[in-house]
Amino acid sequence: MLKIIIPTIMLMPLTWLSKKNMIWINTTTYSLLISLISLSLLNQPSNNSLNFSLMFFSDPLSAPLLVLTTWLLPLMLMASQHHLSKEPLIRKKLYITMLTMLQTFLIMTFTATELISFYILFEATLVPTLIIITRWGNQTERLNAGLYFLFYTLMGSLPLLVALISIQNLTGSLNFLLIQYWNQALPDSWSNIFLWLACMMAFMVKMPLYGLHLWLPKAHVEAPIAGSMVLAAILLKLGGYGMLRITTMLNPQTSFMAYPFLMLSLWGMIMTSSICLRQTDLKSLIAYSSVSHMALVIVAVLIQTPWSYMGATALMIAHGLTSSMLFCLANSNYERTHSRTMILARGLQTLLPLMAAWWLLASLTNLALPPSINLIGELFVVMSSFSWSNITIILMGANITITALYSLYMLITTQRGKYTHHINNIKPSFTRENALMALHMTPLLLLSLNPKIILGFTY
Amino acid sequence: MNPLIFTTILMTVLLGTMIVMMSSHWLMIWIGFEMNLLAIIPILMKKYNPRTMEASTKYFLTQATASMLLMMAIIINLMHSGQWTITKVFNPTASIIMTSALAMKLGLTPFHFWVPEVTQGISLTSGLILLTWQKLAPMSILYQISPSINLNILLTMAVLSILVGGWGGLNQTQLRKIMAYSSIAHMGWMTAVLVYNPTLTMLNMLIYIMMTLTMFMLFIHSSSTTTLSLSHTWNKTPLTTTLILITLLSMGGLPPLSGFMPKWMIIQELTKNSSIILPTLMAIMALLNLYFYMRLTYSTSLTMFPSTNNMKMKWQFETKRITLLPPLIVMSSLLLPLTPMLSILD
Repeated sequence: MLKIIIPTIMLMPLTWLSKKNMIWINTTTYSLLISLISLSLLNQPSNNSLNFSLMFFSDPLSAPLLVLTTWLLPLMLMASQHHLSKEPLIRKKLYITMLTMLQTFLIMTFTATELISFYILFEATLVPTLIIITRWGNQTERLNAGLYFLFYTLMGSLPLLVALISIQNLTGSLNFLLIQYWNQALPDSWSNIFLWLACMMAFMVKMPLYGLHLWLPKAHVEAPIAGSMVLAAILLKLGGYGMLRITTMLNPQTSFMAYPFLMLSLWGMIMTSSICLRQTDLKSLIAYSSVSHMALVIVAVLIQTPWSYMGATALMIAHGLTSSMLFCLANSNYERTHSRTMILARGLQTLLPLMAAWWLLASLTNLALPPSINLIGELFVVMSSFSWSNITIILMGANITITALYSLYMLITTQRGKYTHHINNIKPSFTRENALMALHMTPLLLLSLNPKIILGFTY
Repeated sequence: MNPLIFTTILMTVLLGTMIVMMSSHWLMIWIGFEMNLLAIIPILMKKYNPRTMEASTKYFLTQATASMLLMMAIIINLMHSGQWTITKVFNPTASIIMTSALAMKLGLTPFHFWVPEVTQGISLTSGLILLTWQKLAPMSILYQISPSINLNILLTMAVLSILVGGWGGLNQTQLRKIMAYSSIAHMGWMTAVLVYNPTLTMLNMLIYIMMTLTMFMLFIHSSSTTTLSLSHTWNKTPLTTTLILITLLSMGGLPPLSGFMPKWMIIQELTKNSSIILPTLMAIMALLNLYFYMRLTYSTSLTMFPSTNNMKMKWQFETKRITLLPPLIVMSSLLLPLTPMLSILD
């Protein structure tokens, strides 16, 4: 595992020692190379995990997330080149250092064995993200956004620390590999109910669950492009990953404790999808769409069937790539018109046809068109929730319809129709932007050829 | 002040604390406290103005009262045990009175009212000595009598201190008052774990002193005593804005910085002793502290606060010399991976 972590840490001296004209080239190239190293982890020979050391391991759940994380860093660097072009060199280097630090913490979080180490790194990812959002965001609302982000997550996760330590006292070790074999049923008592709540609330806030999702539109909208990309693609999946790991220890309370959260998620996905239909702000639409997709993941994780775990994992990877791509597309609009209002930059298909192709592909994957992996994820979740309770098919069907509605609404508003007279002098698409979209789309399309690598450990 | 006299007075302060920490006779400890108190008054009054006089008087009155209460507790202990050696305190009344006296010296709730006012009235360097060095002596006595302290009183004072330290600092813009409320809250954390594992109290004290030292050095470097003047540091030395950010986040207890280590260890120790609600409550109240630290970072490092044009002149004036800042910064932010080393403290 150090073969990935140490090169990522060394990206920091690389940025600080690079010359002014080489800084983007160096960091993007080397981070691409690091992502190619992580691809070897996808070769999981058995259902048992690959143990690299006492502290790091990778199993069929964390390997795809790890590959996604390392794949996203060069994409983030490519996306940030334009809005940082006017900043002084030291601030550019600081930005890249923040991204690299975040990347290091994320890699270590996804491969941590010891749950307390997972917790520390989980919290550690907050600091660079906060700095990126607050220092490099564009509007005054970013200050509030940073505070909401930090405090929502911390309020949820401090009880998790206490819960993890008390579990360590009960069982003697929090090493995840050992706990798999120790697994006993938690006796039914009030304090174990609070233990369940303490363990899960941190991840519910991170996902986010519908009632606790207020930080997400703020943080996603106010963050600069790299911040939005990493938030949508990876940081939300930290919550899902944590829930998938920790629910193995929390049986059998999950069967009745999960009901309120299932209700909130099922209702919340419809609510947030419907709100997307009324959004004027493009980034806000994509942010609420993230909440909706993540609500599906929460439903899948709380049902705890093999199919639902497969669906949750596939949906997380698929949503990561799709959402990040949508944010990049929204950013390409923002860089040209300096506004996030959707109708301000409409009819773009006439002006930028290649970008319109990327918009089409991104919207189609967002609404889970076959045969993309988004469909595989959603279909597995819908099927497993149908088998859990037949009535949920109504809500799930409604959600799929509304998702299609707002994805097409977004596509049609920005791309179709007559373009407005004030955008006929926007710059044509840069090769960098087209490369960015292609690098998002290619893994997404290729994975539909062999989805079993992202189906997680219950395949 | 005449350097010779200043050195003598400073040495007396140091000697007083040393006498407290190293004596085994209760009377010598009381003498050490008094020496410390009398010698620090001139240091607090380095600048001679009514504000400083008021602060010094308040400090003297509270600390003298505390010393007298300590003396009474010592005498009651003498009455019931017949000897002057420090071991544990033999009588519950004496124990309670002694705990209250030491809490007054430390600035725990409900005896915390003097801390913000005294810290605000004195200069930054004196405030530094007040909030770091002066806490060593009472804490060392608490460490030594820890087996016989009444748990209820101490835990109540600790939790209330964390609460007051968090809430009280929310309305402040003066940096010295912010550091004072931060000190009250950290003292609360330290005393909460005193009965369970006094080693962690010492660890917390060590890390708290390092972080407070760093903060004060950064404030002295930019000669700023209000949030507004601190927000001009990006004009003078942009590097210190990053350092202020890191140190403030460390004080707030965010992983992966070293300020998280004492909080984590204290929560672990309290949970091992089967109190679950208490550490959860303490951890959540520490978020209040984090809020006003975040406010400071917002105005200092994370935004470029508007300033007038002649702020750029600040870099032309002589910079105050700050000693030992780089090692302090490194220690106050990067110590977390060394946590397994704590096993040597047993």
